Amino acid sequence: MTQPSGSPVTRRGFLGLAGGAAAATVLTACNSGGGGGSTGGSNGGGGGSSTPLKFWNMPWGSTLFLPTDKGIAEAYKPAAGMPSVTYQQIQWSNFVQTFSSAVASGTNPAISSGGGTQAFLFESQGKITYADNLLNSWKSGKLYDDFLPGLIDTMKTKNGYAAVPYNLDMRVLWYSKSLLQKAGVAPPTDWSSFENVCAALKKIGVYGYGTYAGAGGYTGQHNLVAHMINNGGGLFDANHQPNCVTPENIEAMDWVLGLVKNGYVDPRAATYTSANAQSQWKAGKFGMGFDTGGLAQNLGGTFAKDLVVTSPLVGPSGKKGALFFPNNIMMYKKNPSQPGTEAFATYYFENMAPLWTKFTGIGPPPLKSIVATKEFQSDPNAVKIIKEWQPISKTFGAPGQNTVFLNVTTVDATPAMNTFTQTILGARSSAKDALTALQSTLKAQAKPNG
Amino acid sequence: MADTITKRVGRAGRGVGSGGAGRAAPTKASRVGHRGVTLAAFAIPSLLLLLLINLYPLVYAGFQSVHNGDLISVGDFVGLDNYVAVLKSPDFWNSAKFTLIFTICGVFGSWLLGLAVALLLRTKIPGGGILKVLLLMPWIVPVVVSATAWNFLVATPQSPLPVIASALGQPNVLFLADPVLAQITVCVFKIWISFPFMMIMISASLAAVDPNVYEAAAVDGATSWQAFTGNTLPIISRSTYISWILMTIFCVNDFPTIFLLTQGGPVGATTSLAVLSYQTVFADMQTGPGVAIAFLMTLVLVVVSVILYRQIRKVEVE
Repeated sequence: MTQPSGSPVTRRGFLGLAGGAAAATVLTACNSGGGGGSTGGSNGGGGGSSTPLKFWNMPWGSTLFLPTDKGIAEAYKPAAGMPSVTYQQIQWSNFVQTFSSAVASGTNPAISSGGGTQAFLFESQGKITYADNLLNSWKSGKLYDDFLPGLIDTMKTKNGYAAVPYNLDMRVLWYSKSLLQKAGVAPPTDWSSFENVCAALKKIGVYGYGTYAGAGGYTGQHNLVAHMINNGGGLFDANHQPNCVTPENIEAMDWVLGLVKNGYVDPRAATYTSANAQSQWKAGKFGMGFDTGGLAQNLGGTFAKDLVVTSPLVGPSGKKGALFFPNNIMMYKKNPSQPGTEAFATYYFENMAPLWTKFTGIGPPPLKSIVATKEFQSDPNAVKIIKEWQPISKTFGAPGQNTVFLNVTTVDATPAMNTFTQTILGARSSAKDALTALQSTLKAQAKPNG
Repeated sequence: MADTITKRVGRAGRGVGSGGAGRAAPTKASRVGHRGVTLAAFAIPSLLLLLLINLYPLVYAGFQSVHNGDLISVGDFVGLDNYVAVLKSPDFWNSAKFTLIFTICGVFGSWLLGLAVALLLRTKIPGGGILKVLLLMPWIVPVVVSATAWNFLVATPQSPLPVIASALGQPNVLFLADPVLAQITVCVFKIWISFPFMMIMISASLAAVDPNVYEAAAVDGATSWQAFTGNTLPIISRSTYISWILMTIFCVNDFPTIFLLTQGGPVGATTSLAVLSYQTVFADMQTGPGVAIAFLMTLVLVVVSVILYRQIRKVEVE
């Protein structure tokens, strides 16, 4: 691009440069994989196929996850006439583009995990094979009844089950045993005692409400919604439409604003990444905080032993509640063989226990049989999460529904939610104003039949 | 003999060799035509490639910008509704404002720093070669690494810059969490990343300057400042305008610098048009408005670049 000294820059050359820059600019925003008209309907139907099935899975845990998961997939021995399976791990970075491009270009996997709301986005576009047939086939065996109560129904849409629950992404309250001891307080049981513990922690220079909502950190958003659910609120009504400005939500956000104003929240939390937040836990600056169920494992070492999951807090209305994401496995319409895909799905769910028994860092399991293993039971925090938090947790669809649906994609790690969260954590507006602004954005984006 | 040669040349001109009549030598017009075909044969594969790589996505993006689709389906034709919606959106204008600030800071901040360093490097310094390589590091190192390093520098209370600020009596400087400070931090980050490019451009220009120019100025009694404003700046003006054009394009299109450090936050304070376009397409799943933003960016970028290019022409004429 640099011109040699003395070489004239011609108008034509310049326009070429400008044109190139123009194309590059536009391309920044149009990586849609082209086509757009892909119907994706070449379902394998009733027959088998020699074309291997593609199974794409995400890095759900630590570095141990990939070899363990790959080993499970590669150990699959298909029945005669059924296709084999190839395994690929997809990184979280730009995963929406990865899957969307693949679906648009017809190069999608036969079966995959992915983002918690991904199946519902693709379902609305007719790219998903409903799991009804698969789930029905499991009813004759032990697998169907092995799922934790109510979990399968979180996947239900008006046309069928969009996916099958795979692992649970929970938001729970952790505290540092040593810091609470140092502050001379017991773990909180409700919102009021939570504030008291925060006040005690503040006296020793520790923040009681550890959270983060910076680049790539969406836990802060999740926590705010979790507090709304805890107070009987949430973001959507029974018709899947946004309904943010409710007394329950205003009260919950006022509570958080109070925590911020009292100095119980790190003023930098609105822009902390997950790595920043972890460094604060390790530095002993966070004494309590709502985070994923895997926080202790992620921190590792001595910090892991010091962290304890509390029982769910009782909200001002006397209710308990939390937010969770039933991460799932979905099947795509375009695949070499639907019977082959379902056969592999059955195999995978029947044999995926090592992902938990080998402590790969994946979120809590969806199956009671895995919860019952001695390895899982050896972790008291994990047991508490399943025993106390999972039964009271609801999806982003709360309070109207305890399912996931298309309009949930408007609040799952979106700029609107990011702005809302940073507004609250920075105490930049009143609860009602922040919720009203959120409602306005979500209403503009929500689909009437979402 | 001369006659023989003349005849031979004449025969050759008519295409008649010693063996008898052959094909006539091509006329000037046919030679030009032949050459054109040959050149076209060489150029067509490249042109086709360019069309496929650049024109098709460009046209398709234009197509998307007038539809209400998403990442998978094209959606319905909506005419210019996406453009109207984008232009009416406060988010767009807030992002445009920040993009302007970011670009002005990025272009002139990096130019000033690059100029200062380039002038400094003209003097003989021990270990100057190593210093030059070190100064190039911000430009060479992948942005992911730089962003992580800057996050380490400013994000938490234990980070070096907050610690220094605290030691200076400012314990609560929120480099990323305060909207105004976050804008400043992102702009400084951009200047830090970009100044080596400016340094190279200016160093190359300065290297071509005859030292006699400065000696003559000194003999005429010019001060250092007069030599700088009267000699150095006019001499490097052409490369300066070119570097401004390029840096303007780099800044307006810059996505990773901002996205990796702040993801456009807090509360959208550092959301540039490139980040807004990305978020609209890939987070909000609204391809039409997102691509419309990109097209509007492109339009402004071309206009600004043309104005700067005219300035280069003006300098050439002068």
